[in-house]
Amino acid sequence: MRTQDLAQLSTRMFKTNPLRTWLTILGMGVGTGAVVVLVGLGFGLQQIILEQIVFGETLLSLGVSSTGAQGLRLTPETVAEFESKPAVLDASPLARFPALVTYKGLTGNVFVQGVDPAYLRYAGVTVAAGTAFLEEDIEDTSSIMLSPATLKLFGIPDEEVDDFIGERVSLRLLVPADDGTDDVNEIIIDKEYIVRGITKEAGVLNALMMMPELRNYVGILEYERIQVRVDTNENLPLIENELIEAGYRVSALSKTVEQASKIFQGIQAVLATFGGIALIVSAIGMFNTMTVTLLERTKEIGIMRTIGASPNDVKYLFVSESVIVGFLGGVTGILMGVVLGMSVNLFLNIVASQFGGQSVSLFSFPLDFLAFITIFSAAVGYLTGIFPARRASTLNPLDAIRYE
Amino acid sequence: MAKPLIIARDLSIIYNQGKANEFKALSGVSTDIFEGEYIILFGPSGCGKSTLMYSIQGSLPPGEGTLLVKGDDVYSYPPAERVYFQRYMMGIIFQSFNLIGSLSVLDNVALPMIFCDVDKPTRNRRAQSLLDRFGVGHVSHKIPAMLSGGQQQRVSVARSMVNDPKILLADEPTGNLDSISTQQVMDKIDEINTFDRRTVIMVSHDASHLSYAHRVYYLKDGLIVREVVNPQRKQIKPVMEGETIVTELEQLARLYPYDSVETLRVKSMVNFLTQEYTFDQIIRLEHAIALFIQGKIDRDSFIKSLILPYERGGVEIDINEARRMVGVTSKMMGQADDVRRFRARKDNDDIFFSQHKLAERMRDRLFGNYHIMLSKAQNTNMTELIADRVTGVIEQDDFNQRLTKGIRSGGLALSEKEADDLTRYFEKVIAQGVDVNYKA
Repeated sequence: MRTQDLAQLSTRMFKTNPLRTWLTILGMGVGTGAVVVLVGLGFGLQQIILEQIVFGETLLSLGVSSTGAQGLRLTPETVAEFESKPAVLDASPLARFPALVTYKGLTGNVFVQGVDPAYLRYAGVTVAAGTAFLEEDIEDTSSIMLSPATLKLFGIPDEEVDDFIGERVSLRLLVPADDGTDDVNEIIIDKEYIVRGITKEAGVLNALMMMPELRNYVGILEYERIQVRVDTNENLPLIENELIEAGYRVSALSKTVEQASKIFQGIQAVLATFGGIALIVSAIGMFNTMTVTLLERTKEIGIMRTIGASPNDVKYLFVSESVIVGFLGGVTGILMGVVLGMSVNLFLNIVASQFGGQSVSLFSFPLDFLAFITIFSAAVGYLTGIFPARRASTLNPLDAIRYE
Repeated sequence: MAKPLIIARDLSIIYNQGKANEFKALSGVSTDIFEGEYIILFGPSGCGKSTLMYSIQGSLPPGEGTLLVKGDDVYSYPPAERVYFQRYMMGIIFQSFNLIGSLSVLDNVALPMIFCDVDKPTRNRRAQSLLDRFGVGHVSHKIPAMLSGGQQQRVSVARSMVNDPKILLADEPTGNLDSISTQQVMDKIDEINTFDRRTVIMVSHDASHLSYAHRVYYLKDGLIVREVVNPQRKQIKPVMEGETIVTELEQLARLYPYDSVETLRVKSMVNFLTQEYTFDQIIRLEHAIALFIQGKIDRDSFIKSLILPYERGGVEIDINEARRMVGVTSKMMGQADDVRRFRARKDNDDIFFSQHKLAERMRDRLFGNYHIMLSKAQNTNMTELIADRVTGVIEQDDFNQRLTKGIRSGGLALSEKEADDLTRYFEKVIAQGVDVNYKA
């Protein structure tokens, strides 16, 4: 039988029994729709948490700080030592000093952090507004980035954060005296910095500037923290252990991400199980329909067999019918699931914006996942069709034709 | 000598073998069917005629025996391969048409070609030309349910011929059709046999179809009990000289298809003893009388058709005898009219006669035949008797008895002989005059 004839013959059900066909498709659709929505929710949640921090370089970086014990200090020598390790590509330090920041007469306590642009990449520091320091900004002497909490200090409400970009602030560094006393020398930086970006770091009062600019005002002998960029994922735990054994405190974002991913895989599995149950129910319903269709069409099978249809022709007819139903069920399910997810997203975002919250997308539907669902539902169709089809093809034509 | 197209040897088919409801549908059937033959498998329900046909078709593997079609043992192939053979060898039509309701008429006819991977333009052209040939080309785009039974069966004939098969199998193709459609379908099948030279094997229990066939196989209880050769068709099966001869039994078998050979022999004998006319003459006579009774021919044409020589389509009866027959017939028809009027009571169309007068007239005409003079009392009794019999108050036997009873007890005191003759004659009149059509 030719493919187009097979297609024509196996879509007759839309004409002869449209209601039942569409109901079967709808049943399959609700099942796959449930899977799509639930798994989409899993994907969405995962993305909300991870999209901020998941950068390739961030995942391959280790944050190293001194434990304070054993007299370990992070110095430029330490940076050089780290960089000399074979598996380490780069090490980027962070120096930190307490400071006073003044904006339009208001003054508050912050920490000024001097970094290289690479540090921002390794530590996964991103901006909520404005722009971050890039490689070419290494010589920048005129701008700084602030953490959101700093703005609170100046009484800037959340919705006006964007407007703060371009504002000017001035700084006074509080540098501990190097004579061994607890005295603090106040170094006044006699210029105003332009705020170029607001970071996403929550709960800390930070002002980020370029390391060379900071060096212009203060000598840096000790670092607060060093981000170590490791070359490959495999070497990450090795370096980590090495550093921990050397007495450093090491935090790896990749670990957090990994744990988060594991949790979300678990959540997804649970969600997919619920969806899967719905899918199984609808697959059983579809199987039932295909079996009833077989009984109903027994006579027709008999007629076709006596006028020259081979057993395989009959089998293909049935299988292609159920694959079509399964496939359309998958497509319907995806449509329903995606529309539902999008609507919930839209609703949540409207509510969130009403209450001043950040807009999130709770549902996410990766294309390869949708493609998988389409193929999977067609496969379910195939499986529900193959048994009735096999039975149909082995029916004795004469018994079939006499079946009422 | 040509080899038979289909050879069956000791074919046995048992349904539900080994179970409580085991049923032997065919028990050792042997037959040879030649290319171009028109064969009818004839017999009552459950005689195995359809079983034999479906076994030839390839859907019923025989339990025992061999079946060769064109020298091939069909059942030696698995079903998936058997179908290739069926596609180009067998076309089939069914009693219940078995068209597929969800496909257009055209697609239904083209369906066997779809299974043969024929491309759409080719198969549609072929299907349409067949539909045109069988007079249903104008409905090719309707669905089967919108067609009459006769049209549907002609569509299914077209479907059976679409792959140009060698053999046309027909399973009681006219069983669901009215008489006009039956005629059309039978003519088309006959055309396929005579014009296209296809072998036709038809299952039927309608005796009126038997004249189409070359040979008729009579089946009973899973056996071929008789093979009747149709003397009106030139036989294809080679006849061995002296082996089979065509006898009057073949002719009788077509007249009385449901009777056994023994009964036919008896009938042949009785015919010779009691009637001076042959079966052929009787058939012609029946035909002429039918036309006369229905009023389709008048008295003169009736006589003419009776005296015409047999070769020219007449009954070939002596002129005096013919006149007598016509006289008796028309007299009886006249009296039968009175019976009808009497029974019609309410719609009595003869306003000059009351019921009683009608009965009296019937009595007078009856006795006018037999030249018996009756007394007044006899006349009264007879009128009553006729009224009772015609209205159905008394049976034929009572009527006969009362004719012989005494006058005092309501009879006519006739002799046994007179009473029998009178009863016989009057019953014939009643038979003509009583309307037996069903009235709701």
